[in-house]
Amino acid sequence: MGIISVEQTDRLYWLGRYSERVYTTIRIFSSHYDTMIDEIEESYGEYCTKMDIPNIYTSSEDFLKKYCYDEEDPNSLISNLMRAYDNAIVLREEIGSETLSYIQLAVYALNRAKVSEAPLIEMQKVLDDILAFWGIADDSISDENVRNIIKVGKRIERIDLFGRLHIDREDMLREVHRLVGRVPRTQMKYNKLGLERLNLLAEAPQLDYYGIVCQVEDII
Amino acid sequence: MENMGMDLDLYDHTDTVNELLARYGVKFGIYKNQVFKEQLFPFDAIPRVIKKNEFDFLEKGLKQRVMALNLFIKDIYSEKKIIRDKVIPEEFVYAGGGYLAECENVMPSKGIYSHISGIDLVQGKNGEWYILEDNLRVPSGASYPMIARDLCRRSSPRTFHDHHIVDNRDYAQLLRKTMDFVNTGGHSVILTPGRFNAAYFEHSYLAEKTGAHLVNGSELIVENDHLYYMDYTGKKEKVGVVYRRISDEYLDPMTFNHESVIGIPHIFDIFRKGNVALMNAPGNGVADDKGIYYFVPKMVKYYLGEEPILQNAPTYLPYYPEDMKYVLEHFDTLVMKDVAEAGGYGVVFGSSMTKKEKEDFITLLKAEPRRFIAQEVIDFMDIDIMEKGEMLPRKADLRAFVLMGEEPMVWHSGLTRFSRNPDSFIVNSSQGGEFKDTWVLSQ
Repeated sequence: MGIISVEQTDRLYWLGRYSERVYTTIRIFSSHYDTMIDEIEESYGEYCTKMDIPNIYTSSEDFLKKYCYDEEDPNSLISNLMRAYDNAIVLREEIGSETLSYIQLAVYALNRAKVSEAPLIEMQKVLDDILAFWGIADDSISDENVRNIIKVGKRIERIDLFGRLHIDREDMLREVHRLVGRVPRTQMKYNKLGLERLNLLAEAPQLDYYGIVCQVEDII
Repeated sequence: MENMGMDLDLYDHTDTVNELLARYGVKFGIYKNQVFKEQLFPFDAIPRVIKKNEFDFLEKGLKQRVMALNLFIKDIYSEKKIIRDKVIPEEFVYAGGGYLAECENVMPSKGIYSHISGIDLVQGKNGEWYILEDNLRVPSGASYPMIARDLCRRSSPRTFHDHHIVDNRDYAQLLRKTMDFVNTGGHSVILTPGRFNAAYFEHSYLAEKTGAHLVNGSELIVENDHLYYMDYTGKKEKVGVVYRRISDEYLDPMTFNHESVIGIPHIFDIFRKGNVALMNAPGNGVADDKGIYYFVPKMVKYYLGEEPILQNAPTYLPYYPEDMKYVLEHFDTLVMKDVAEAGGYGVVFGSSMTKKEKEDFITLLKAEPRRFIAQEVIDFMDIDIMEKGEMLPRKADLRAFVLMGEEPMVWHSGLTRFSRNPDSFIVNSSQGGEFKDTWVLSQ
């Protein structure tokens, strides 16, 4: 087993988080984009509320342009993907060139979407690349700790997003159980009591989504 | 390339190889108007081809040169016999920016100073090879032909099946062998200044391929006269060798530039005590200064008692009155180089100056003769490049890599850089240069 520094741990964790953020937000964005084509053009406001991001957009056209491709907008898809890239690019020797290449391919695909008449087709490729990234990370990274840290980042981000999106209890419970099993395997310092509390919140008959979002951010 | 011909299947795959290079993040960083940008390093699939007997000759010459350079550095920081014997004037040693007084009487692990030497050569139209420059500090570039070869073999297996080409993907093993030889006991690390360094791709790729840890200064700590790498659980692991890709001045803020935030405090102290190996050793700049270059053939004779196998490009030192006279008389046919500059900067061609520029330059040359060298402009042998499906001749140089472990090892490949601009002799990647693979034939 190799040595992983504090800085690398941080980067692995955030690589997991940002890759998940891009993946889940593109999936949700895609369904809203579909609505905006010919049904409710202004539905981006509802999307912003759901995603808990400020609605700084002046029209659906402005939203589609800035939310997807504006690197100055910290909530945009490209900003989140570039944060994943920024973390991945400095982890080549930990995750390997092959694994890293899928994040690079996702960046190229999103940049192609910017000039495409049918951006969702290219965004589908971004999703494919992220899925491939997770697959190869699981398959080829030999250091178990490295894999576990990325997965913990991914799970925490997913629970956070599921909490904001008021996702079904069963889906939430599955994700929380996965996280509970994974965190101790990272050897990272974590909030044991917080993890137990999160589990209780997820197992409650009525989900306290706000409580879950707050709690999951307090684990690592 | 004589002439493996237009039939090479590989040429049809140039775009594929470039797409794969982009996929694997083969880039270099540059600062334009103080903004950092990552750029792809464009690849031309027509290789430079060096025949076996020709490379055998180069290999002998390169080993000889690097051995002499290592002996020179050792001598300068200890006995200084070469100065006492008046082979090299002392002002050329001490006035250049590369000499570091802090390195006096410091003996690196196994007595090796330049573990990785990047020697730049050009081939003249007469077929002769000339050394243009020695790079003994942090020479970069091996990773590019290394990964390009891997991708070319994937794209065009037939090319590599049909021709006898030495596999160059052993560079990482040579590097690892070099690191292991000088390792004082502990982990091997590659020290990078970080993501925004021009050669960051190379740092991370070599770490991956050698199995060394890629680290930055903040991840290493000197304690109890040893160097440690701290992991996230708080455990400290001893480090035995640092392949550092940061300049001397930033290596240790306690010894060199006090404002450095990318170095490791006190690393030079434990290097001096022999508790860690630094590759390359600090202070090597004393031997790769453009002014010192003039004296390398003399070093070969002095230290090895041999005639130099490889020649320098004809060079003049305006410091010597007879050379100054020659330079002034032949100004328009020479290229002038500022010894303090690198990366293709500070290079001016007499033929391309206006009358005013020439007058100003000569005034400067007379005021600071030590600052410049002048060289004959070598009529490079052209190498074909592919442009829009057409083969066109262009100027190209070759950076050969010599690794010094138990014995000198010459990598059977090299970085061939060229300029797409037909009028340019400047091939540096930072100035728009592109690259090719270098094939050494095995028979």
